[in-house]
Amino acid sequence: MTDSADLERRYRRVLAFYPRAFRDEHEQEILSALMAGAAEGQRRPRLAESFDLLSNAISMRLHQMTLQRSWEYARRPVTRSLDAESRHPRLWICVRAGIGIWLVVLTAILYGYGRGGWWGVLLVPAAALHFYLAFRLRHSVQS
Amino acid sequence: MQEATFLILTALAGGNQHGYGIITDVEQISDRRVRLRAGTLYTALERLRADRLIEVDREEIVDSRLRRYYRLTPTGEARLAEEADRWRSNAHVAMSRLDLRGGVATT
Repeated sequence: MTDSADLERRYRRVLAFYPRAFRDEHEQEILSALMAGAAEGQRRPRLAESFDLLSNAISMRLHQMTLQRSWEYARRPVTRSLDAESRHPRLWICVRAGIGIWLVVLTAILYGYGRGGWWGVLLVPAAALHFYLAFRLRHSVQS
Repeated sequence: MQEATFLILTALAGGNQHGYGIITDVEQISDRRVRLRAGTLYTALERLRADRLIEVDREEIVDSRLRRYYRLTPTGEARLAEEADRWRSNAHVAMSRLDLRGGVATT
C-alpha cells in the first residue's frame, strides 16, 4: 500500500469519531485539506492533528447532546438518531453503556498485546464519552 | 469572536477559498503565528455557516479530491468590519496609553 493511501486510511479512522451528519457533509473536503497539508512520505497523522480532530469531534457530540443545537442540516440523520435516543432512553442506555464497555475491553486487549500506544488516546476518551451519554440518558429517564 | 474565527473571516474577505487555502492564508496573515488544524477549521466553518456569516461558493474536484470553496456573506462582511473596528479602537487605546508611559514598552 502506498504511503498516501495508508495515511488516508488512518485519517478516515480518526474522522469516524465525528457525528454522522457532519461526516456526510464534510468528510471528503476535510480529507482533501488534511492530505494537502501532509508532508511527502508521511504515513501517520501527526499527533497534534489527531488530537485536534478528536477533541473537536468529542466536543461536537457533547454539544449536540447538551444543547440540542439545531444544525443547518437539522432534519438529517443526527437529529433523527437523537430523537430516537430521547424517545427510547432505556434502550439507548444499554446501547451506550454496551459500546462503552466494549471500547474498554478493546483497549485492554490492545494494551495486553502491547499494541496500545496511541490507540488508547482514541479509545479511552471515546469510552468515556459513551458512558457520559449513558449517564445523561439515565438522568432523562429519571426526570 | 475568537482570533481563529476572525482570521478565517479575514482570509475569506480576500476572496473565495477552500479549506486548505484558508489554512495557508491564515498562516500568512498571522505572520506564521497561527496554523489552523483541520478539526478546528471545519468546526469553525460549520458554525459560521450556521450563523450565515459564510456560505458555500462552489465545489471542484481536483486530483479526485473534493474542494469546497467558501465565501463571505454580506452579514459576514458586516460582522468582520464591526470586529475589526473594535480591535482597532482597542489597539488605539493601548498604543496611546503606552505612549503616555514614555514609550518604554513600545517598539
